Amino acid sequence: MKNKAPRSARETAVVVICAVLKQGKSLTDALSITEELEARERAFCHELCYGTLRWHDRLNGILKLLLKKTFKPKDLDITVLALVGLYQIIYLSTPDHAAVSETVNLCRNGKKSWAKGVLNGVLRNFLRNRESLEKTVDENLNLRTSHPNWLIQELTKNWGKKVIDILDANNQYPPMSIRVNQKKTSRSTYLKQLEGSGISAIENPFNSVGLTLDHSVNVDQLPDFWQGASSVQDGAAQLAATLLDIKDGQHILDVCAAPGGKTAHILEAAPSTVSLLAIDIDENRNQRVIENLQRLQLNADVMTVDGLEPNEWFDGKTFDRILLDAPCSATGVIRRHPDIKLLRKASDIPALIKLQHDLLNTIWPLLSKNGVLLYATCSILSSENSQQISAFMREHADSKEVKITAEWGQPCEHGQQILPGDNNMDGFYYACLTKI
Amino acid sequence: MAKLDILHFPDKRLRTKAVNIITIDDKLRRFIDDMYETMYDAPGIGLAATQVNFHKRLIVIDISEDKDEPLCLINPVITHKDGVEIMQEGCLSVPGFYENVERAEHITVNALNQQGEAFELTAEGLLAVCIQHEIDHLDGKLFVDYLSPLKRNRIRKKLIQMDKELAQQVKQPSSTL
Repeated sequence: MKNKAPRSARETAVVVICAVLKQGKSLTDALSITEELEARERAFCHELCYGTLRWHDRLNGILKLLLKKTFKPKDLDITVLALVGLYQIIYLSTPDHAAVSETVNLCRNGKKSWAKGVLNGVLRNFLRNRESLEKTVDENLNLRTSHPNWLIQELTKNWGKKVIDILDANNQYPPMSIRVNQKKTSRSTYLKQLEGSGISAIENPFNSVGLTLDHSVNVDQLPDFWQGASSVQDGAAQLAATLLDIKDGQHILDVCAAPGGKTAHILEAAPSTVSLLAIDIDENRNQRVIENLQRLQLNADVMTVDGLEPNEWFDGKTFDRILLDAPCSATGVIRRHPDIKLLRKASDIPALIKLQHDLLNTIWPLLSKNGVLLYATCSILSSENSQQISAFMREHADSKEVKITAEWGQPCEHGQQILPGDNNMDGFYYACLTKI
Repeated sequence: MAKLDILHFPDKRLRTKAVNIITIDDKLRRFIDDMYETMYDAPGIGLAATQVNFHKRLIVIDISEDKDEPLCLINPVITHKDGVEIMQEGCLSVPGFYENVERAEHITVNALNQQGEAFELTAEGLLAVCIQHEIDHLDGKLFVDYLSPLKRNRIRKKLIQMDKELAQQVKQPSSTL
């Protein structure tokens, strides 16, 4: 016997989205099952998953208006099927009739055939009353922007009127940015190679290695990608290596290094005389660090250890440079990970703030005198960023801020903040501290 | 170990009724290993001896995600059935086609293992469906027999065409080089 037909893109999308909504899996993890799809189907499936989750609250608001009674929790797959159908009608160029029939067809067989009629009715009713339904949900900011209320409130507290721009930027498609490996080639040479393969890109104005592609491509299409010529990395994350200002022979620590994008960038930019220790608590994610370094032909010591327990791994030789890319709310990278809007809860934030605080306190003693610690997050919440650094400096008399003077982002009381979409970059925060 | 050839519907040999196995020896155990290899390679979740043109009552099954729960049933007999389960089934002898088939939801089976020891097994869900599907093979039955004659004929024609094209490719391997 053979187990069931290979799943279609739409069917797979429903399974992926249910795994996010029900089991709280991250979208990136849940998408691993799409590897069995053929390339075009996989791309369509990714579009459906990202899009439906990006607009989940708005689509769900519309669905609620269309249903007398919402579906039972055990029929989450039917709810998701309806959302995926609505997403195609509203945001994709799928012809209306195809979106309806393909959605209905997915529950034609098996135990859920009862939902056929309801789904058909829901989608057809939407087509008939589309304008007024969309208008009704858009009167509510939470539904219009598909962001949870707690996050809108938090962002309003931090950014005032800018909040609307932030919410809209979070719903944009992110660009694909890459970093050229300067140990292998130069940006201008690589740009020519890209153009030769029909890929157009523009140079990142804030460093000498970044490129932003006009359209996303599969990494296999990037020239010499597997030989280590380039890496995928957002422009904001590409700022870390420069800020660290690494010199000959320095000893560097990269805390919470996985998946190793910044680790690799540091080594590409630094003289070959430096030594780097990259640590992360997650063994599987650390595997990615090792793979990335191998692909780029770079060397570092990689250890799977807890940053909060240095007595288990610190050999007593203090570090000249430390990058602490702290675990955070990831509220700056919602455009790349729309599932954050659904998975992150207001109650997660205090625990993250405590973890960042503990990491800063634990790692600080490992920094040499006159050494530099770069604190980074992909958060846009002041409590994880400027306020965190402010509290730290109050508790550590031997710390002094090195002001970042940059053309990107905006200065905060402490550190520099990039908001999502600023210069087409992810939301990111950097603060530079030195030990006196 | 060696991979075995799987017969395709509408091959008449799939209609043979298999006979009970009398002696379970190393030769048979080697054959069982070949059946596992054939099933995992296909890939499938169950294979009956009939499908590899060996007409004795023997089936191998592994429905696990990680392919680490092999199950071998020799001379299997279903002693109890109840409930109704509709599941989409496919078959290594009917490649590329998947249709809904109605079967019992719970079953109890008596069989012998590779050492010739008797055991009883109760199964439900996918495992129950798979065991029923494979025992059907031993009786010369296929899942397409449960479909309408129209559907069955459509599948028959397509598979005859497919096997013909395959045979031609094998006959002229160098023509495209």
